[in-house]
Amino acid sequence: MAQSELVKKHRVRELLVALLPIAALAVLFGALCLVVNIKGYRLDMYLKIVFNEGVVLAIVATGAIFIYSLGSFDISLGASTLFSATIGVMVYNASGSLPLMILTIFGVAIGCSLLSSVLASVFHIPVFVTTVAMMSVLSAVAAQIITTNGGALGGIGIPATVVAPLDNVPFKLIALAAFALLCVFVFDFTKIGRRLKFLGSNAVCAKLSGIKVNVYAIIAFVMAGLGVGLGAFLTLVYTPSVTPTTAGSIGMNILVAIVFGGMPISGGSRSRIYAALVGGFSYILLNNILKIVIDSGAGYGISQIVSAVFFLAVVYVTSMNYRTKLLPR
Amino acid sequence: MIKRQSIGTKLIGTLAIPAAFAAILFGLCAAEGKTMFATPISVNYFVLYAAIVMITTMALSINLNSGRFDFSLGAMAVLSSVLSAKITYALLQGGSGSAVVMLLLGVVIGAVLGLLSGLLYVGLRIPPIITSLGVTLIYEGVTFTVTSGKYVNTEVRNASMSAFSGTWIWPALVILVVLALIWFIFDRTKFGYDYKALQNGQKVAVNTGIREVPNALVCYVICGALMGIVGFLSATRSSTINGGSLNFGSIGIMFTAFLPMFIGGYIGRFSNDKLGYLIAALCMSLLNSTFAVFSNQISASMQSIINALLLVIFLIYLSNEGLLKKLFQRKQSASCGER
Repeated sequence: MAQSELVKKHRVRELLVALLPIAALAVLFGALCLVVNIKGYRLDMYLKIVFNEGVVLAIVATGAIFIYSLGSFDISLGASTLFSATIGVMVYNASGSLPLMILTIFGVAIGCSLLSSVLASVFHIPVFVTTVAMMSVLSAVAAQIITTNGGALGGIGIPATVVAPLDNVPFKLIALAAFALLCVFVFDFTKIGRRLKFLGSNAVCAKLSGIKVNVYAIIAFVMAGLGVGLGAFLTLVYTPSVTPTTAGSIGMNILVAIVFGGMPISGGSRSRIYAALVGGFSYILLNNILKIVIDSGAGYGISQIVSAVFFLAVVYVTSMNYRTKLLPR
Repeated sequence: MIKRQSIGTKLIGTLAIPAAFAAILFGLCAAEGKTMFATPISVNYFVLYAAIVMITTMALSINLNSGRFDFSLGAMAVLSSVLSAKITYALLQGGSGSAVVMLLLGVVIGAVLGLLSGLLYVGLRIPPIITSLGVTLIYEGVTFTVTSGKYVNTEVRNASMSAFSGTWIWPALVILVVLALIWFIFDRTKFGYDYKALQNGQKVAVNTGIREVPNALVCYVICGALMGIVGFLSATRSSTINGGSLNFGSIGIMFTAFLPMFIGGYIGRFSNDKLGYLIAALCMSLLNSTFAVFSNQISASMQSIINALLLVIFLIYLSNEGLLKKLFQRKQSASCGER
């Protein structure tokens, strides 16, 4: 009797902890509305800014969940987004064709992801180091192309009229929902997702059960590539030009967003697609709230400190159920 | 049974990579009719850069070899250099002895920053990679707030700092002192033995009575102190400190240490890993000096690509070394059979 009560208590606690990131998102949304109203700013404008910034991060992070579920992580996704968008712009300027540009962006993004996965799985290089190398190469090549063709400051771009009809909330919402549904389907309703989680939980056991690690690693990277492609396209829709700093912080923000959304960095069975969506928008909401509240140049530093403390606090609370005697590694 | 290496194998294993690096890079310069060390300044910068790379590599490897990934190394270097530069300037107004005071303060402040980072890790008990993300953001935020996002120039431009970077002797001395200290701490003390035990078997080591928390904290303190030195050396090298890095802008500093860490680890199999880091840092500095010689032909982007490709090629070799040896042996035995 006492034991069943304990189990019940533990389950309730687990549920509360699992709901915490969603509650944090709701609180942050409420806080944004409140501070915007207090300051007398236009709420619709701020909601649009948050949505436009959050949608790219949420999409790229959603794709990245497949890699993170394996217990690996990829910090080259920001550079990959920049590189795909750069090549997309070059192709549009050479051909004048929007469909060709979109195809190129997706092709390049998936190609970059495949290259990372091949280097990691075929040549047995640690995934993280592969992505460090890829990050350097992709951002350097993109910077070279941009500075050669348009100058580092102004960058290169496509005519705004080309993507203007797509720069609206309904289109981006449909793109986000479609990609998220695809990811939920693959991750939660097919053997691919189950096996990825199994590999992330216990790679040795998964291998001994006959799961081909290389195949699933490649699938994970392809899914992440799809997210990068869509993210790169939406980046161009929002701002139809690229500079060497475009999407520069996405690679690291994905890490923060996923952890913020309540997913453990070690991946495995507790990996959730919604973590990227919830975490991505929460992080952008938090940053915008702090920007409004601390409204000065030096305030950027203070808002980053507050944002980091909030991040650590959320992670601390969401990981309360998984404390170990040994120090985590 | 562990196979003992002969002195010849040890020597070849230790010196093969630096010899190859030197031969290729000096050869390239000679082929183009250029000299790598044309002026004494180029020698000074060579030693200074080697010191920066070696110390960063050591700081990165201390925690990484124990499975603790630390993104905050760059942020620690920048914050410690900003704070030490400002305090030193407030005390001496750029007068004589500024460099020594800034170096000592940098080490102390770096150690404190490392300790805070370590305390956060052992206190929160969340994975070190996540703690380091938070710490990076906090330290970058503090740096930005202290400097108002501007470059720190006046505080690091004085005769004392110029005298430090104006000769190769001081950086060489720093290399020797750090190398000797790190070798002593990690290879000759109880702390070092405990560190290795924890590195190779965390659970077993803890069960045998090794205290993991103090060991981890000391590791973070040492990393912080080392990054304090790196911050100081970087400030003397560029005569400025960028206080405007936000949103993980400072993590690039640690990426320069990945290739030397793997090269150093490889060399360490034949001698000692700390010596390996020094040799690897010298190789990286040679490469950097070659880039400087060919600065008109090789852009900054191209340099990044070359560095990344070298990292990938070396890792492909390192990760498939056993396979390559097997292939080579099979070919050899096949050719013997043919004979």
